[in-house]
Amino acid sequence: MISTSEHTTSMELSFPSELGFEVIARDAVAAFARRMGLAADRVEDLKTALSEACINAIEHGNSLSPGTRVAVVCHCDAERLLVEVHDQGLQSYTPKGDPLSISDKLAGLGPLRGMGLMLIAQLTDESGYRSDGEAGNCFWLAYFRQPVVGCR
Amino acid sequence: MSNDTSRPGAEEKIIELRLPSKLGYERVAMDTASSLAKRMGFDNDRVESLKTAISEAVTNAIEHGNQQDAAMKVVVLLTARDDELIISVADQGRKQLDADCTTRNPHIEDAMVNADKGGWGIWLIRELMDEVEFTTAPSGGNQVRMVIHLEQ
Repeated sequence: MISTSEHTTSMELSFPSELGFEVIARDAVAAFARRMGLAADRVEDLKTALSEACINAIEHGNSLSPGTRVAVVCHCDAERLLVEVHDQGLQSYTPKGDPLSISDKLAGLGPLRGMGLMLIAQLTDESGYRSDGEAGNCFWLAYFRQPVVGCR
Repeated sequence: MSNDTSRPGAEEKIIELRLPSKLGYERVAMDTASSLAKRMGFDNDRVESLKTAISEAVTNAIEHGNQQDAAMKVVVLLTARDDELIISVADQGRKQLDADCTTRNPHIEDAMVNADKGGWGIWLIRELMDEVEFTTAPSGGNQVRMVIHLEQ
């Protein structure tokens, strides 16, 4: 799932776990993705998906706790761009099965919030979750590069 | 890394960015700093000055301090305070910065006749930032600390 080769170009960013800082992470990672040659529309998808993942990390993984931080790690090789979002795991993520559809939510069958993971799945080529144990939660977003060329 | 540090009464928010030593990645630092500065309320012209200064500092770190060794990192720390933004750019010091070049004032007349048109980066940084200091990073590399004040 998540493996990187010796030909990987990497970047790391960390920021305070406060709502609003996801915008700065979004702009930093968008610049990295553009540098990697990701198409403009995919960069927009990445910005939205990353914002959702960062907000989840701030609100849920770090429980809006002062002093905690969120780390974003980007790896790019010839095949794909992989973006990992790490929180400190004050609250562990527990998968809750298939999320309700938008129409079900609009019909009042569930809260209107909670569509972040659905959005992430729609806006990435691949995405997933892994537990880093006591280190926290990690959500990852992947975008395949086409045509397949080496990182500049 | 903590979010809040030593200055009494002043809250600090720190963003840390670790970039590969490849020319072009200074764009990531520029866009990250720009996003934070806009969020802090800096005017557009100050944001443009900041982008130019950080671009020069990161380019110097990549080209000179790290000798374009992609395995080496450039570490950018952005510290947001109520009244200022502090930017620290550190390399891993494969080549130590000549102290003389941090104080030298280049002359345009010389540039007109010399084949080498470079050497303006540090002068530009000094012109564009409110405070500039060249030191040695904890890692032993070169470090430049720049401050831009937020006028209320």
